[in-house]
Amino acid sequence: MKRVLTAVMLTAALGVAGPAFAADTAEVGKPAPAFTLKDEAGKEHSLAQYQGKIVVLEWTNPDCPFVQRHYKADTMQNTLKGFDGQKVVWLAVDSTSSNTPDKSASWKKGEGFTYPVLVDAEGKVGKTYGAKTTPHMYVIDEKGVLRYAGAIDDDPRGKNASAVNHVKTAVDSLLTGKPVPAATTEPYGCSVKYKS
Amino acid sequence: MSGVLLWGLVVSAVAWAEPPATATGTGAPDEGNPRVEASLVVDTSQVKPGESFRVGVRFRMDPGWYIYWKNPGDSGLSTQVSWDAPGVTVGELRWPFPSTFRTPDGFIVTHGYKEEVLLFAEARASQQATGSLTLSAAVDALVCEQRCVPAEILLSRTLPVGAETVRDAETTTAFDAAQAQVPRTLESSGISVALALDEEKLKTGQPFTGIVTVSASDGKSLPAVEPDFFVPERIRGITRMGLTSEAPGRFRLKGDAAPNAPKEAPRFKGVLRLGTAQTGYQSLEVDLPLAPVEVVPVAAKAPPPGLPLMTPPAVAAQVQAGGAAPGMSLGLALLFAFLGGALLNLMPCVFPVLALKAYGFTRMAQEDQKHVGVHALAYTGGIVGTMLLLAGAVLGVRAGGHSVGWGFQFQEPLFVAAICAVLVAFALNLFGVFHVGADGTALAGKVDASSGVARSVGEGVLAVVLATPCSAPMMGAAVGFAFAAGPGTVLAIFIALGLGLALPFCALVLVPGLAKRLPKPGVWMERAKQLLGFALLGTAVWLVWVMGGLAGVDGIGRLLAFLVAVAVGAWLYGLAQATEGTRRLIGVGAAVVVLAAAGGFALRFDGVVPTARASALSAAQPWDEAAVAAALKAGQPVFIDFTADWCLTCKFNERTVLAREDVRAAFSRHQVAFFVADWTRRDERISAKLGEHGRAGVPLYLVISPSAPERPEVLPELLTVDIVIQAVQRAAGPSADAT
Repeated sequence: MKRVLTAVMLTAALGVAGPAFAADTAEVGKPAPAFTLKDEAGKEHSLAQYQGKIVVLEWTNPDCPFVQRHYKADTMQNTLKGFDGQKVVWLAVDSTSSNTPDKSASWKKGEGFTYPVLVDAEGKVGKTYGAKTTPHMYVIDEKGVLRYAGAIDDDPRGKNASAVNHVKTAVDSLLTGKPVPAATTEPYGCSVKYKS
Repeated sequence: MSGVLLWGLVVSAVAWAEPPATATGTGAPDEGNPRVEASLVVDTSQVKPGESFRVGVRFRMDPGWYIYWKNPGDSGLSTQVSWDAPGVTVGELRWPFPSTFRTPDGFIVTHGYKEEVLLFAEARASQQATGSLTLSAAVDALVCEQRCVPAEILLSRTLPVGAETVRDAETTTAFDAAQAQVPRTLESSGISVALALDEEKLKTGQPFTGIVTVSASDGKSLPAVEPDFFVPERIRGITRMGLTSEAPGRFRLKGDAAPNAPKEAPRFKGVLRLGTAQTGYQSLEVDLPLAPVEVVPVAAKAPPPGLPLMTPPAVAAQVQAGGAAPGMSLGLALLFAFLGGALLNLMPCVFPVLALKAYGFTRMAQEDQKHVGVHALAYTGGIVGTMLLLAGAVLGVRAGGHSVGWGFQFQEPLFVAAICAVLVAFALNLFGVFHVGADGTALAGKVDASSGVARSVGEGVLAVVLATPCSAPMMGAAVGFAFAAGPGTVLAIFIALGLGLALPFCALVLVPGLAKRLPKPGVWMERAKQLLGFALLGTAVWLVWVMGGLAGVDGIGRLLAFLVAVAVGAWLYGLAQATEGTRRLIGVGAAVVVLAAAGGFALRFDGVVPTARASALSAAQPWDEAAVAAALKAGQPVFIDFTADWCLTCKFNERTVLAREDVRAAFSRHQVAFFVADWTRRDERISAKLGEHGRAGVPLYLVISPSAPERPEVLPELLTVDIVIQAVQRAAGPSADAT
């Protein structure tokens, strides 16, 4: 009763008709938690500013062999290239406690990709999203709802010639207005080296 | 994807082209130092065609490094051994019971092996085998410490075929030791496992619970277990699953169904290890059906256009928690205050006064609307005036450097005594012992307008004074906001509160027609009035009890003595009202003297020891930051109850929810550390803690999870059993000490 009333009042106070509150943990099918983080160049990115676009979040750590394997194979860059750049935003997030903007900047330069690397050395955003591994992927739709969480593909060992890229499947489904077939998969990789 | 393919091929090529494969190899080179050594071992030195033997890979890791079990857990990669052995049938890989590793914050949980492990399989030489058999194993593992290094090792050896199978004593010992660690199937272990789920169906995206009972078929009692005694397999449709031990052989199952869980029944599947280092271990393989899955659609409404895409988490948290002061706008705080004030009318502290007012109003309703309006104004004025006084007091005390909170005046014994006296006097007035007003003409049934107005003001004052210990929902946030804000805001909030409090009565007056619906006055009114007197005495009893918490049994004695004096004074005053002239003056004088003398003797509360009160909540500990931190460190969820004897909402919650059997059971099941922060008397530490959560008064309920101590959950001011149990479950996590 009280919670309903509070919500109604809050809604009234904001002057809106239909509330959509961001969750404080990430859950597929629900609004993705809001965040604001600085990238390797010090520029701020918030989820809210990408309203109207599909946002792909990639938890990463350049020291992790799984990430290294995918960057050697250009998995992330190639996946992004397959999308309409006007409609899809790719954000890498590094929640490694020892990470610094400089480290991210030199890694980005060495690998030659263009999307921002958000620095989350405190691990707050990572833990809110429940990011456990690197890589750990999230896809958020144009309305801010989390639509996919899990692995980049179905090939943890990197030995499958015809691996299915889950992120590509998810984004392509969203772009064509279809439901995401596998909304969650088991992520694989190194553990995120959170601050402890 | 071609890149991945290429990379995969390169890796494979490198691994398989590492000639010549030997029985022992190393992998996971880390700064030039291999972190793992693997050897291919068999338990025979010669095998007879058609006979079986065991073949395995023994891993030896550097100190601190580990490889993964078949379900690696939250991260990592399961260890893979692929056999290539022409002329030999190799069975499934056997996995000894794994260890469970956690990051210091408990966020990432994985399963695997440190130091040394032998992963092996049963093998059988073909009937046609001759000469010698070549056994090869390709190992693909991830070796981790802080960082992770992949290891790909190719191992190969030969095994001579002969007329007899010859056991190798040394390796047989190693295989037997490993075999003893491998969980046995239920059939072979003589143990049965039953699962009783609390729900008939699993609901997608929702938690589930149940009881797992393990019993030995020979009726023997089962040993206790050590932490991490259950390791679940990776099960499609289940995001987390864990067991906690309730008694030997009895375990509580908790898990979460995935939002996209498949419809066919997922299974309760994993390995269970009974026993301790002292008793020895017995590991079991468990595999039972859970329940069919029911799909619960998740409502994910899109925000309307034109709004910021996401509400900041601070606002979302407020909605969850029923309002936290930081980040609240003034307008919102005023709205909260107004509604909170209106809700106060329904609280047990204010209700008698409201009833009284309604009763008085019934009399007035027969008069003309003008008079009624005046009374409504007077009542509102009394309320708002008192609220302003209260605001002034708050500002004054705060300026003096003290922290104060809502209901703080009840921390002062003299105040409690004064209110008690007012209540008793009021009750006696209702009983007809004396009358308020200039003369006795009111007896004639005519309402004297001016004295009636004074009474309305007084009732307004009383309503506020009695309202403060009852913190109505939503008011906590608004008052917290006020107490942290500047003087102007404090005044505005208190006025809004007052207007809210006065609202129901004013509505009765100002809505035409509503008043006419009230019953006609008559003798019943006199009886109703007297009945209300008893309600007021009941409120006084509560205050006497509050006094016990403040000033002990002595304090109660003194207060009761004083109340008797008040009654005597009222009686004398009543006698005087019935007479005229000097006798009347003498009567009034005597009443005053009795009161003053009794007050002077009785109302000394310094140095009295408050009664130690048995809490309604057994097993509660006094709140202390260090003790809370220790409990969290020990992995216990923490519940903190900020309360005070004079806070009726608190007492109500404690009696009706927190002291309930099922709630207590949930607390002990989750090993919740229960703390009581008693604010009955002034306590700066508690005031400061309340302030941290944007509150200025009690109740406040915090549930802290050991896995996220920095994010305590604030429960609503009015608790329900469900709210508490669910919050505690969330804090304990689905796998408190199992996975």
